[in-house]
Amino acid sequence: MRVRILLASAAAAVALAPAAAHHSTAMFAWGKEVKIQQATVERWDWTNPHTFLYVTTANGEHWAFEGMSPNHLGRTGWNKRTLNPGDKVGLVYYPLKDGRKGGFDVAVTLPNGQTLRQLNSPTDNPAKDAAR
Amino acid sequence: MIGRVALAMLLAADVTSSALAADPVTRPATAADYAAIAKLPDWTGIWQPDWSALFAGRGGRIPDKPVTTPAATKMLVDFEAGKAKGENLQTQAANCVPPGMPQIMRMPYPIEFIYSPGRVTIAIETDSQVRRIYTDGRPLPGDPDPTFNGSSVGHWEGDTLVVDTVGLSPRTSIVAGLHPTEQTRIQERFHLAKPDVMEVTTTITDPTLFAQPYVLRQPYARKREWQIREYICEENNRDAADPFGRPTMDISK
Repeated sequence: MRVRILLASAAAAVALAPAAAHHSTAMFAWGKEVKIQQATVERWDWTNPHTFLYVTTANGEHWAFEGMSPNHLGRTGWNKRTLNPGDKVGLVYYPLKDGRKGGFDVAVTLPNGQTLRQLNSPTDNPAKDAAR
Repeated sequence: MIGRVALAMLLAADVTSSALAADPVTRPATAADYAAIAKLPDWTGIWQPDWSALFAGRGGRIPDKPVTTPAATKMLVDFEAGKAKGENLQTQAANCVPPGMPQIMRMPYPIEFIYSPGRVTIAIETDSQVRRIYTDGRPLPGDPDPTFNGSSVGHWEGDTLVVDTVGLSPRTSIVAGLHPTEQTRIQERFHLAKPDVMEVTTTITDPTLFAQPYVLRQPYARKREWQIREYICEENNRDAADPFGRPTMDISK
């Protein structure tokens, strides 16, 4: 019985393994959204394999957020000038499991009030497109 | 005397055929070769894998799970047991090692097709990889060195490109926890299901790993308004996997 459960879970894991280009999401509390109402951008690295956003929070803490790549973000409404040092932004992130001041960048609310999300798909389902 | 000449010719012929088998020669291209390219299906533009088929939980098609041999099933169970201990959570991709075939064809970034005489080249955005598919009639190499993307030959069946691949490195993974062996074979069939939708059916066989052929189906959407972008993983990689597949991330500024 125990073996059967193990086999079933192994098979499920194979089927569900995400095809991330770079790494799995194992180090993040993936899906657990945490908000920062306002932070100040220190630096934004528009680099592969990930963008990195460094901010200072209202109480003076330094935080670092990994984000999607320029290849992804460049096709979903972001560019290298979207964030600039000194910008006051709102953030939604998935925290690091290890408790350090960092996480995965989920959404950024820009000084003009626009919210950009990181995980939007760059394309609709082509099968669905074709059926239209 | 005649015998000596015949022997010399035999040796020369033997050397020539060995050299051909080891390293096929690309013959000069002719006008007919270029004219033949004009008759191939139009696969210009770049092709973005359908995300819903790549990630779970997006309402899309999830790859069928492979039917594995008892030995491979045990490998998967052991791999999952490692996960329970915090291992096998991160692949070498986190260290910027390209995934190799077949996973390189299932990354969340686009690919493009380049036709030239006797060859289809697939340029892959992820890790700036290239696959060279020889369509000049040469056979698959008999004993290829193992490589990440393998050795590929292809042929056209109407408007379908059929690609056979061997020689995959055991350092890569077919699926998480299962590595290619010398008996792993991949056949891909590329064709347009709709004018801007490409379907790729990938059949993987290996009698040591799979009890039945493992078949993956991956749709790609044509994006004429996109270009392939550079992707140098080493540019600013803050992630890593240790030898046990445990993840780390550098958050220092």
